[in-house]
Amino acid sequence: MESELSLLYNYLTVGTLVFGVGMVGFLARRNLIVMFLSAEMMLQGVSIDLVGWSRYHDNWDGQILVLFMIAVAACEAAIALALVLMLYHHAGNLDVAFWQGTREENLPAYVDQEIPEVSQPAPAWPELTPAGIEPAANIEELTHREHV
Amino acid sequence: MERSGLIIAACAAGGVGMWLMLPRRRAWGRWLGFAAALAGLVLFGAQLPRVAGLAEQGILYAFGAVTVVSCVAAVTARNPVYSAIWFGASLVGTAGLFLVSGAQFLAVATVVVYAGAILVTFLFVLMLAQPQGRAYYDRLSWEALLSAATGAVLVGIVLGAFAGDVADLAAAVPEQPPAAGAEPEKSVLAPEHVARLGGVLFGRHLVSVEVVGFLLLAALVGAVAVVQQGSDSSRRAAEARGPQPAPAPLDGTEN
Repeated sequence: MESELSLLYNYLTVGTLVFGVGMVGFLARRNLIVMFLSAEMMLQGVSIDLVGWSRYHDNWDGQILVLFMIAVAACEAAIALALVLMLYHHAGNLDVAFWQGTREENLPAYVDQEIPEVSQPAPAWPELTPAGIEPAANIEELTHREHV
Repeated sequence: MERSGLIIAACAAGGVGMWLMLPRRRAWGRWLGFAAALAGLVLFGAQLPRVAGLAEQGILYAFGAVTVVSCVAAVTARNPVYSAIWFGASLVGTAGLFLVSGAQFLAVATVVVYAGAILVTFLFVLMLAQPQGRAYYDRLSWEALLSAATGAVLVGIVLGAFAGDVADLAAAVPEQPPAAGAEPEKSVLAPEHVARLGGVLFGRHLVSVEVVGFLLLAALVGAVAVVQQGSDSSRRAAEARGPQPAPAPLDGTEN
């Protein structure tokens, strides 16, 4: 295969993979911000494709289009993040399932059936070495008996 | 055909890997998913045709792998801050890909505008909205299996179509004999890159540039309007909702 053509195919493969991964993220994740990040990722995949085609056809229009895509992505980020912030103020969290009241009427409500495992270990606090003058012992506290 | 078989196998492995790596209730499958996704990536790489130079091929593989692996990590990370940072890594990989194929200005613009401005806005909003880190909805997915299968099918179909197109193109373009003048000069690869890009941008696409500038202004005004209107209505909503009890912590570290 010709070298330029195989270069084009390499770019198309990477762009398609990035687009597909972004789509999976948009469909599967529930955090509003991560969903939006995935949408940006899909744009990124398309721009990789466009640059590949631009190189293959020796045409600047693909790169120009990517430039405009970056500008539109910036607009999109400004408006969408303002919206996300407002939704957060309404709902108190970033869960997109909170807004499932906007679904179609014939669809059943989504209920969380699984509770996620907690995998975070308890934090280890640092131990402070005692410093300074030791305060005088409180006799009352030491001799206090609760149930007499 | 050998390539289509490789594409199908790679999509299957990648889909299974994505399914296992997406946030789910069980934590056991993640490494298995990582292995499957890595196998899928290797299979995707195996079906790629070779580019002329070995060095160019290596650079291309390296940037492509960085891009795709960072994207997968961004989508599957439990902590949204990590998602944003992995997305930044994938942007760096994308910038490398742009640089290799003669889009130097776009490479720099991607790093400066995307990673420098848009990603920082993401992190800013993330810190405003969810400073404590992981929440329960970051550890659950909608229909992880269906989403991963959808993605695998889409990638398979699109790549199959591209492979067919490229095969057609290869059949249509006869193998050029190595002429005495070597390769024909490509205008995209010219040394005066930015000058030519600017010439096209402000020549043929001048109206589009103006439109995009107007769009940026409109987005700015729109964002301010959304925030102002929304803060009034959200205050009313919060008053109507009344004082809310603090949510119960899921584990010792949150809240």
